[in-house]
Amino acid sequence: MAFVANGLLGPATALSDIIDSGSSSSFSFGSNGLLGPSTVNDSNVPEKDTGITDQETPDNGGTKFSFIENRPLSDPAPNSSGSSFSFAPNGLLSSTQDDAEDLPSVSQMLGLPSRTDASLLSNSSTSSSFTPRLSVRATTFDGKTIYMRKKIKKTRDTLPGGSSASSRRIGNLLETPIHRLMDDISVAEAKRLRDADKFAAIRSNSNDAPEDTLWVDRYRPQRFVDLMGNERVARETMAWVKQWDWCVFGNKKGKKRTRDADENADEQDEYHRPREKLLLLSGPPGLGKTTLAHVIARQAGYEVMEINASDARSGQVVEDRIRPALESGSAVGSTKPVLLIIDEIDGATGAGENSNSFVHKLVQLTYDRPRKKQRPGQKRDPNAKRPILRPIICICNDQNASSLAKLRPVAHQIRFSRPADIHTVRRLREICEIEGLKADSRALSTLVGVARGDLRGCLNTLQFIKSRNEDVTESIIRAATVGMKEAESSVISVLNDLFSPMTKKRVKELGMSEGDDTKYVARLSQEVDGSGRESAIAIGCFSHYATLCRHDADFTGKYQQANEWLGDFDRFSSAMYLDGDFALNQYLPYLLVPFYPLFQERGTPRVERSQADWENLQLTRTNEEIYKSLSRCLRTATVRHGGDYRHLVSTPVLQLEFAPFINRIISPSLRPVNSQVIRPEERALLNRLVDIMASLELRFVQERAEDGQLSYRLDPPIDVFITYDSKRAGDIAVSRYAVRHFVAQEVDARLAVRDSEVVEKGKRGKHDLFGKASIASGGDGERPINGITNLSNANEPSNKRIKLGKVDIADKPPTDFFGRPITTPSATTTKAAARKNVEKKYRVSYRFAEGNSAAVRKHVKVSMFL
Amino acid sequence: MSLWVDQFRPRTLDTLHYHKGLSERLKSLAASGDFPHMLFYGPSGAGKKTRITCTLRQLFGAGVEKLKIDQRVFLSPSKRKLEINIVQSNFHIEITPSEAGSYDRLVIQEILKEIAQTQQVDLNAKQRFKVVIINEADSLSRDAQAALRRTMEKYMSNMRIILCANSTSRLIAPIKSRCLLMRVAAPSPTEMHDVLKFVSKRAGFDLPEEVSSKIVDDSGGNLRKAILVLEALKMQSPDLTGSITIAKPDWETYCNKVADLIVSEQSPARVMEVRTKFYELLSHCIPPTVILKTVAERVVERVDESLKAEIMHWAAFYEVRMRVGNKKIYHLEAWVVKVMSLYKHFFYDIDMSGFD
Repeated sequence: MAFVANGLLGPATALSDIIDSGSSSSFSFGSNGLLGPSTVNDSNVPEKDTGITDQETPDNGGTKFSFIENRPLSDPAPNSSGSSFSFAPNGLLSSTQDDAEDLPSVSQMLGLPSRTDASLLSNSSTSSSFTPRLSVRATTFDGKTIYMRKKIKKTRDTLPGGSSASSRRIGNLLETPIHRLMDDISVAEAKRLRDADKFAAIRSNSNDAPEDTLWVDRYRPQRFVDLMGNERVARETMAWVKQWDWCVFGNKKGKKRTRDADENADEQDEYHRPREKLLLLSGPPGLGKTTLAHVIARQAGYEVMEINASDARSGQVVEDRIRPALESGSAVGSTKPVLLIIDEIDGATGAGENSNSFVHKLVQLTYDRPRKKQRPGQKRDPNAKRPILRPIICICNDQNASSLAKLRPVAHQIRFSRPADIHTVRRLREICEIEGLKADSRALSTLVGVARGDLRGCLNTLQFIKSRNEDVTESIIRAATVGMKEAESSVISVLNDLFSPMTKKRVKELGMSEGDDTKYVARLSQEVDGSGRESAIAIGCFSHYATLCRHDADFTGKYQQANEWLGDFDRFSSAMYLDGDFALNQYLPYLLVPFYPLFQERGTPRVERSQADWENLQLTRTNEEIYKSLSRCLRTATVRHGGDYRHLVSTPVLQLEFAPFINRIISPSLRPVNSQVIRPEERALLNRLVDIMASLELRFVQERAEDGQLSYRLDPPIDVFITYDSKRAGDIAVSRYAVRHFVAQEVDARLAVRDSEVVEKGKRGKHDLFGKASIASGGDGERPINGITNLSNANEPSNKRIKLGKVDIADKPPTDFFGRPITTPSATTTKAAARKNVEKKYRVSYRFAEGNSAAVRKHVKVSMFL
Repeated sequence: MSLWVDQFRPRTLDTLHYHKGLSERLKSLAASGDFPHMLFYGPSGAGKKTRITCTLRQLFGAGVEKLKIDQRVFLSPSKRKLEINIVQSNFHIEITPSEAGSYDRLVIQEILKEIAQTQQVDLNAKQRFKVVIINEADSLSRDAQAALRRTMEKYMSNMRIILCANSTSRLIAPIKSRCLLMRVAAPSPTEMHDVLKFVSKRAGFDLPEEVSSKIVDDSGGNLRKAILVLEALKMQSPDLTGSITIAKPDWETYCNKVADLIVSEQSPARVMEVRTKFYELLSHCIPPTVILKTVAERVVERVDESLKAEIMHWAAFYEVRMRVGNKKIYHLEAWVVKVMSLYKHFFYDIDMSGFD
């Protein structure tokens, strides 16, 4: 039987005999077939044919499985089934390694029948008799007791004999003797195992845990000392965070909150907080700002609360989330104090001017004064704003972002800069070594150069390369970082590229040949296009070019050309926007590229953000508003004066003629006057001035300056139109405070009179109709009267009051505040006489039935209707 | 109380001080009953609007002086709100479509049609038609002018249009051919003298001859400006004696300063300096074309004869570009650099053939 088993390797005809010979023996042949991978399938075939097993699959694992399965089927003996079990545990190595594992046991099986063929047979048939010989007893998971023989010893003994015996007996059935085959196999296996070890080692890194983490995360520094890059930045940040210790952790004596009581003990801040309560970390992406913040926070003993761009960041969030967290001091379920990290703050929503913006609220948060006289035991007012007692770190890329304008003054700013390439390269090399990635430092420094120090980008690129290739070469780096070069570039960086040639270093980094850097058109136009802000770049070019060629004798040539291009750019873009012809957009970048050949120069100062154009725009808007309010004033004057001012409203006239001259007209050379003592000619002048100002509704508004000085300001402030270079026109003196005060009073009085006139006019209209009032017509009559009352008396405010009083009196019998009839108190003065006259004119001619549904009942003469 | 400009503005054709012939003609036109569409054109401050109002009064009587001012809101196609101020009486309406910027076509279409489609309701009106006055007609966009064309013919029975413009050059020919063109020339110095004398007499003071001539010289035929100057002068130095200097508008003084800067030195630093001045002027909402023109005129005054033509040529050149373009400052500076280059090359007597 055993021979036949060996013969399995050879002619297939032997198989039929084996199958016939019996189920128990067929098992052992099958197991023999396990010997070599090449033979395995052959061994399966007969078994399949016999129909002993159904579940087996053609692969190695399947064979082994069938081997296990077959046993109970064919052989009831517990010991043999035990042996099959022992294999299974041995097969702990992954299924692919079955062969290697099976090898000794199978060869031992091979040896078994050869030495004692009868014993095996009897073993299978008479199981219990062999039991004492077995020395190992084991229990399967399902509770069966299994006895295992000590096979190893036997194997060692029997293997040579068995193989020799079989070779002797079978003769040259095999071309190579089995032992040599075995040796070959074992050598191959050993080699394979060695390889497998290597793979496994790699896989343990990159396969199991590794596959789902990025290298960036895996090699993220965990401790302060791990931090790479600019040490000063790290230290500075740490120092700032440490400044909070007094406030957050209390001083060493544990007087944590006792200082709350004795207010103003500390002049700076009663909580000993740093002066700037925010920290603003800024820098290009990928340098580890976020990591730094987290590491330092952890190192300093804080619990990090992070708010980043993925969170809603409206002003409401500050109230809802940040303030509670900062006030309570620690996160829910944590004993550590909280430290707030606001990541990507430059993208905060609602960064506009409105008071509800995120940044605005945040800044407000820092302004909140600590409450005075707060005792520790005292019950706190839940609505009272408590001071923030926890540090806030804000992180952004662009510290000049407009949305951060409000934040900057109150924040301690720390700027990240690109660490020296050599550090980055060193860190990358360490990582490559750990990852088993072969990388030469030239390739790595190329990578760092292309990525401009962006460590995150470098790591991601390396991981990407790792997933495809084995080692990192420069060419692979170049291929992998194609996209990086076209990264979005800021306006400033584009401008810098336009005005200065590429550094030799950068040329090398980008891997361009010597001639390539002189070909600039494609490169620069792409860059301009990539920024997507052509007009901003054009403005930048415009503001910068004139600072160049300062010492050039013939600057005009270059300047003219530059202007020519700018003009063309402007015409293109305006054609594009006005006609909606956006096909022109693709040509715009090219119109800016010529600045490079014209002005590029090595060693020029970096282009700085120029605000001139923006400021001009803002100023223009403000002035436009003032013009608008002036023209509104003119329009109301038009309504009031029968269309008189309307021709002055039209656009160029208003700016060019009206605005300069109205300023002169309203600033006559009045000396500070006492209203009582005034020369007649000055009186006339004043009258006219007041008339004009009142009709245009120009007023002097009292204002208190920061130093407490009172001043009068024109409203609307049309004097900006005579102010150039923040200098007032020379021929228009600023009238003195006293004069303005006086004029302001007069104007206000006049306006009040006019307002009351409007009320009166309607009533007077009725007088004219029904009461036969002596006034001929409203329009002609009122002015002289007002003129008299207003100007003849010097005491303006009292006059005003009387005027207003008169209106009331005119309608009703004179009563005082409480409704009691009064006699006019000022009957002695001449003014009162004048008023009496007026009163007579207003003598009521109809009865006003107040409260009646027929509100006004009048006595009307028939003649009125004729 | 109104400014003198308005206070002493003539209300009727008879009281107009100059261009008597024009007044006669307008009067006869108003009387003829066959009143055409009209286009008044002439320099600023020559009295176009005054004549228009006088003509209206001649046409409709004192009723046109009862004005009311409305604000109408239009919705642009992009749902933007456009506010247009309308001055109207029972007989006429005054609009300035250029207030709506590039949507002036919309204003023209809406308002004109609305007016044109209704007849005069006032049976006592002297005329059957209403009048639409379109101010600043020369800043109408092409679309708006085209929209006007057909309306002018179609609704002739209900409406007459009076256009008011500084020059006819920017009006399309079809419009011009539909209108009776009325040129209102700037008053001559003597005419201005008369007007100033009239104003001072009405205002109750005596105007010295030399002051009057100074004002006239300074105002360059702009009567409105002259009267404003007069009033400003009277306010600032009421006695009008001694050495009187006529105040120029501040922007003009500033422009002159800029021109002096350009002529006195040509260097990159000066270019920057001039630029900031231009920004200052622009931020005061002085129209860039006016800036360019004023500065150019001043520069021309100060340079050699042979350069004048060249400088003006380039000023015109860049003004066109400015109108086409969007960022005015680019073109202003381009002109400055051009002038500097011209001046410098002239100064050093270098061949300029390469710079054209």
